[in-house]
Amino acid sequence: MDRRELLTKTFEPHPASPGPSRYTNAVLRNQNNEAVKFYDDLIRGKQCVVNFMYAECHGSCPAVTQTLKTIYRQLKDRMCKDLFFYSITTKPEDDTPAALKHYAQARNVDLAGWYFLTGEPDDIETIRFRLFGMDHPAFDSDLTLHSSYLRIINDGRNSWGMAQAFASNRNILRRIAWQDPPKSYAERVVEARARQILIEEEVKKYGYRRDVMS
Amino acid sequence: MPKKKAKNRPGEVKEATISRRSVLKIGAAAGAAGVLAPSMLTSKEALGFQTIAEPVRCVTPTNSPPHHPFVDDFTAPTPAVDQPLTPQPTEFPNLGAGEADRAPHPRWTQFTPAFFTYDISAQPGLHQFHSDFGQTYVWGFNGQYPGPTIFGKYGKSGIVRFRNNLPTTTTTFGRNEITIHLHNGHHGSESDGFAGDFFGTGFWKDNLYPNVYAGIDAFGGNTGGDGVGDPREKMGSFWYHDHRAEFTLPNNVLGLNGMYIVYDSTDPGNESSSAGSLQLPGLYGVTDFPLILVDHTFCPTANRRTELVNAAGGDKFIVNGKIQPKLTVRRRKYRFRILNTGPTQTYDLTLIKPDGSVGTMVVIATDANFLEHPIPVDAGANAGNSNSTTAPIVPGAVRVSVAERWDIIIDFGAFNAGDKLYLKENRTMFVGNPSPDPLPPGLNIGNVLLQFNVVNTELEFPPDTPPIPATLCTYPTLPPTDNNWEWQFVLKHGQFRVKRPDDKVGCTFDPDHSAHCILQGTCEEWLINNNIASAWTHPVHIHFEEFRTLKRFVNGVEVPVPPLLSGRKDVSRMEPGQGALIKMQFRDYSGRYLIHCHNMAHEDNFMMVRWDICPDQASLDSCIADQQVCELEMKAKESYREEVA
Repeated sequence: MDRRELLTKTFEPHPASPGPSRYTNAVLRNQNNEAVKFYDDLIRGKQCVVNFMYAECHGSCPAVTQTLKTIYRQLKDRMCKDLFFYSITTKPEDDTPAALKHYAQARNVDLAGWYFLTGEPDDIETIRFRLFGMDHPAFDSDLTLHSSYLRIINDGRNSWGMAQAFASNRNILRRIAWQDPPKSYAERVVEARARQILIEEEVKKYGYRRDVMS
Repeated sequence: MPKKKAKNRPGEVKEATISRRSVLKIGAAAGAAGVLAPSMLTSKEALGFQTIAEPVRCVTPTNSPPHHPFVDDFTAPTPAVDQPLTPQPTEFPNLGAGEADRAPHPRWTQFTPAFFTYDISAQPGLHQFHSDFGQTYVWGFNGQYPGPTIFGKYGKSGIVRFRNNLPTTTTTFGRNEITIHLHNGHHGSESDGFAGDFFGTGFWKDNLYPNVYAGIDAFGGNTGGDGVGDPREKMGSFWYHDHRAEFTLPNNVLGLNGMYIVYDSTDPGNESSSAGSLQLPGLYGVTDFPLILVDHTFCPTANRRTELVNAAGGDKFIVNGKIQPKLTVRRRKYRFRILNTGPTQTYDLTLIKPDGSVGTMVVIATDANFLEHPIPVDAGANAGNSNSTTAPIVPGAVRVSVAERWDIIIDFGAFNAGDKLYLKENRTMFVGNPSPDPLPPGLNIGNVLLQFNVVNTELEFPPDTPPIPATLCTYPTLPPTDNNWEWQFVLKHGQFRVKRPDDKVGCTFDPDHSAHCILQGTCEEWLINNNIASAWTHPVHIHFEEFRTLKRFVNGVEVPVPPLLSGRKDVSRMEPGQGALIKMQFRDYSGRYLIHCHNMAHEDNFMMVRWDICPDQASLDSCIADQQVCELEMKAKESYREEVA
C-alpha cells in the first residue's frame, strides 16, 4: 500500500466482522487520559496488536514491552496509520492513565499509535476473555497466563492471528504480516516471482529451500 | 453434487477412455467431478463457484438441531478422477501459468512423467450432513465433503495439482490460503504442505507424490516389492488436508481434507488371489470403506441452511460426512480405514453386538502401516489389547486420536441376517430423537456413530475373503542410532510449546528457522514427552518417515509398549504424563519438515516446530548455526526479564 493511500485510508470493517458483539464498545482511557471506545475507536477496520500487561509487573511484561518496541521501530511507517498497538492493563485499580503515561515515558514507548489502556475492571476482564479466552477455566481465570501472547487483529479482513512475544522478532513480524490487508492477485504474483529467485539460489547453495533470506 | 444425474448417462463412458485403471475408473464414473473437462477448471471458470452464497451469521446455539438416527446411508467418499493436467507439470514452478512459488521437485527425472495426475480444486460447496438438515456451506476439495479419495499405486508416481479456488474474500471463519499436506507421504519437502508455504486464491501448486517405499537410495528397485525402495516400508491409508499455519482447525472444520489410498501387490485393492496378495477385504466402497470421524455443531439459519459452527468440538457425530448413518453389510468380512479428522477430540471406539456386549475388531494397520500380525480387540479374551491405557478406560476399545488411522476388519459372518450392530464412542452427543430400532441393552443413542444392518450375502455380491493371514508383513530392522534428541510438549505461561533438551523457554512454530538439523541418511532416537504437569493429550505427528516405538513411559517410569502401539506409526498419542522413545530414519530427501501436536487447536496455537534434513555436512553445519535462533532470541528476552526483575 502506498503512503498517500494510507493517509487517506478510511477504516472499513469487514462485512462479517462481529463488531462490538465480540470486542465490546467499552470505554477505556489511554495514557493521555482520552476516552476511547474499544471497538469503534480502536478496532473498527484497523489492524492492531493487543497485549495485556501492568505497570508494576516485573515478570514477562517488561520483556514483552521491549519486544513490541523493537517491532514498532521496524513497522514505523505503518504505525498509527493502519497499524496500532494496544497494551491493556490487567490491574486497572493501580494503573491510572497517569501511571501508564509514566510507564510509557520511562521506557521510551509513549509513541504514536501505541496506546496504553485502562478502564473499568469488569470491562477489561470481558475484553481479556473475548480476545484470549480459551474456554478453559483453568487458563482463563489465571491472569498471568495471557501476559506473553500478542493477539493480532485485522478487522478490515475479519481475521485473527496470534504471536508469542517470546518468539523471535522476525517470527512476530511475519505473523503480523499474515494478517495484513489482502493483496491483489497481481501483487501476489510479483511477490511469488521475487521469492522464487531466492528459493532457487538457496537450493543451489544448501541443497534445499532454507528460507533464510529476507 | 447437482450435476451428477444429468451428465452420467449410461453407456457414455467408453472402455477405451478408461484403459489405464479400470477399477478406479468405475468408481470414478459414478462421481460428479469426473465429468468436468480439465480446461473447465481454470481459475477464471472457477470464479463461478463463488456464486454459492456464503453463510449468513448465526448465533451459536446451545445445541445443534435434532436429527433422526440411521436415516442416511454410509458411503465411501467419491474417488478422484485421474485426468491430464493442462499445462503440463514442470520441475520448476510454472509461475507464468499461476503456480505458486516452491522449490523445484527433487528426483524429477526419476519420477516423471507421472502415471497418475489429478486436478483438484479447493472450493466452496454445499453438503447435506443429514436429510433432516438444510444444506451446509463447506470448503471442500472439488467442493466435496469429505474430499474425493485419491488412489495411488506403489511404483507409479502421481502429481496432484491443488488449486486454490476459494473465495477471494470470505465471511466464513476459514482462511482462503492453503498448503496441502499428504499425511504421511515419503516425498520432497516442496510437496509436503509445509505450514508456512501456503498460497492464496487464484494460484495452484503441483505436489509430486512418487508413491515409493522409503529407502530409495539404499534399496533401489527390484527388491521384491512394487517399484523402488524397501517394500517393508509399505503404507496404505494416507490422508491429505490443509496445513495452513494458525488456520488448520477452521479450514479442516470447513472440510479441506480427504483420503489417499495407495495399493501394492500385497494389498491390491481387490480380493482376487493374485500373486502376493493378502486377500484382505479390499473393494473400495463395497467391502473396504474409509471411516472418517469428525464432530461438529450446527446452526440453522434463516435461509434454510444449516451452517457449521467454528468450534473445537461438536455435538454431532459425523462419519464420512453424514450424521449417524447406516450401512447394510453382508455376512462376511469388511475393512474399515478409521481416520479421525478431529479437529480436537479423541475417540474410544467399540463395536456393540446385538446383545449389548463388545464385539471383536481386528486391527490390521496402524497409521497406514500393516502390523506384522493382526491384533484382535474386544472386551473378553482380547481386552488386554485395547489401547485405551489411561482414563476413561473403555474395555475393548480402539482409541483414536486426531490424525491417527486404524485399519480394522470386522467379520459380520458370525451374525445373522437382521442383526444390527453399532459402532460406539464414549462421549455422548445430542440426537433429539429415539433410535428407530430397539438398541442393545445398555447402549445410549447419543453414543452411536454408525449402525450396521446385517443381511444375507446375495449371489452377485463378492464372496467372503479367506481368513486374515497370521502374518501381514515383516518390519525392517532399523540401523544403529546416530543421534538422540528430545522434544517436550509443554504448556508454559499458558502457551503450547515444544521444548528441546536445553531450551529454557521452548520453541514455537517459526517457518524461517529450523529447531533441529538432521543429516540425510541418518537414524535418530527421539524422546517425546508430555510429562510436565500436563492435563492435555497431544497426538504428536512427525512428517516424512514412519517411526517405531522402542519404549513408553508414564510419569517417567518405563511401561511395556501396548501391542497396538508397537507397530510402525506416524502419530504418537501422548496422554497426560506419557512419554515415548521412538526411532526413525531420514532418507532419500532433504528439506523442511515438521513435528507437531495434531490436536488442531494446539498446532494452530504454535505447538509445532520445523526440523530440517540436510543433504551434506556443509549444509548441516549451516543449519545448526541457525537452529539456536529461537533459543538465542528467547534467552535475550529471558535475560532482559531477569535484569528488570
